[in-house]
Amino acid sequence: MSTQIPKQTEKADETAAETESEAPSKGDERRAEKRRRADEQRRQREAEEAERAAADENTVELRVFRYDPDVEGKQEPRFDTFHVPFTKGMTVLDALMYSRDTYDSSLTFRHSCRQAVCGSDAMFVNGGQKLACKTQIDELEEPIRVEPLPHAEVTKDLVVDLEHFYDQMEAVEPYFQTNEYPDGELEEQRQTRENREKIKMSTRCIWCSACMSSCNIAAGDNEYLGPAAINKAYRFAMDEREGEDVKQKRLEIIEQEHGVWRCQTQFSCTEVCPKDIPLTEHIQELKREAVKNNLKFW
Amino acid sequence: MAQRYSSFEKGGRMWLLQRVTAAFLLVVLAFHFFLLHFVHHADEVSFLMSAGRMETMSYYSLMVLFLLTATFHGVNGVYNALVNQGLTGTKRTVIKWTLVAASVVLILQGIRTANAWAGIPLY
Amino acid sequence: MSQSYNRGLIEDFSRWREFEAGMWAWIFHKFTGWVLIGYLFTHIAVLSTAIPASGAETAVLQAGNDVYTQTIVSLEGLLLVRVLEVGLLAVAVFHMLNGARLLLVDLGVGLESQDKSFYASLVLTGAITVASVPTFIAGAF
Repeated sequence: MSTQIPKQTEKADETAAETESEAPSKGDERRAEKRRRADEQRRQREAEEAERAAADENTVELRVFRYDPDVEGKQEPRFDTFHVPFTKGMTVLDALMYSRDTYDSSLTFRHSCRQAVCGSDAMFVNGGQKLACKTQIDELEEPIRVEPLPHAEVTKDLVVDLEHFYDQMEAVEPYFQTNEYPDGELEEQRQTRENREKIKMSTRCIWCSACMSSCNIAAGDNEYLGPAAINKAYRFAMDEREGEDVKQKRLEIIEQEHGVWRCQTQFSCTEVCPKDIPLTEHIQELKREAVKNNLKFW
Repeated sequence: MAQRYSSFEKGGRMWLLQRVTAAFLLVVLAFHFFLLHFVHHADEVSFLMSAGRMETMSYYSLMVLFLLTATFHGVNGVYNALVNQGLTGTKRTVIKWTLVAASVVLILQGIRTANAWAGIPLY
Repeated sequence: MSQSYNRGLIEDFSRWREFEAGMWAWIFHKFTGWVLIGYLFTHIAVLSTAIPASGAETAVLQAGNDVYTQTIVSLEGLLLVRVLEVGLLAVAVFHMLNGARLLLVDLGVGLESQDKSFYASLVLTGAITVASVPTFIAGAF
């Protein structure tokens, strides 16, 4: 609905002022007039649609955070309201896509697979970090507030800068390493069923950054690795195929001052994880592992 | 990128110590409250009664240990809270040593007080 | 993570309504911790009146006219101090119970019921505090 740039009249004044100083071509005038009329028509259409939608009982009201540093008039963050016709099984992502396609093509958000695998559409929905594509509309209270992830810089609308999150993920070396190889050159590196079961939940991470955004400590301490990175470290540190040497190296990474010790067991990450990874449990286990490891050398 | 981190192990030892003192304080603080509010009552405190307790060596040493662990647990807790909030650099060093100095003052004053009761002439 | 602009209420204050049990437990634990360390310093300061008191005559000590006894007795005579002491008890009991909960969490025991153990420590704190009020207020009037 209210996707207009505010201060419309001011802009019109500016154009008028410019017109006086340097005489514009007839074409410019015509184009300006055309734009103005198109704007008006769009506003009218949107108002009508909103009215119809509001009258229709089966619509949902979405209040979406808008911000665009590149467009004057959109630099001040605001909330736009969209009325979306409800269909059974509709997710927050579906509603956002409908809003973008129907009302305002400038509405920006990340999404790709739409089935909770790619992890690109974590957002702050009704005050909680949610994966928009697996959050059912009918489980939410209206109006549904959709905001970008807290504790990250907003690039535009619902898109946040995840560079820092990826840096922290990098820091734990999130890939398989070993110097213990099986005898035969073509033999596979086999894992026991029990060991696979142990790391199973930790492998489910889709790098969506919901946990990092929910973590109070990560918000204050920029160096803190954060739940996702520590979970990644857990996934490999607990993998027996990596061997003792690599495990020691991994423990060194996670037990630096801004590693596991910063975790205050607030359980926020565990609450928000869309893949139900018991993050706090993994962090706690690594703490105990690190303590045991150090006691050995005393 | 792991190389940029250096304070390996240190955090872990403090973390463990914070938990160990917590377990100790849990018991001793409960005892302290029980003894000084339920066994003895707040309105009947006198110097001689406090001195009578403190003259027992086991009580004296328990109270000194209580003071040491409580100070560590409290001051380390405050320090951690500040680090969690992103305290870094010079500010952090300054605050760290201020806290250490405050702890030393608190412990010295506490021991002097205990000595005054116990009749140990070191105060 | 620097902010390109101030998200204000979204980032900070308005979020408390969405907090889960674990976050409340952390906030209360931190708050009670600050109170307790503050009290520890005050406590030692008040108790150190025993240092000058120890120089007094035996007769003065027996009559309870020394600085230490006088300080404590006059403080405990104030109703405000008694009320504050009940508050201190509540703060200490919560910190202890939630601390026990955190020790269990650190040992990896009962992580699934961490919210229930938080509510339990709240209820227990309330019960213990209320039960202690008569003892703490006794003789203040």
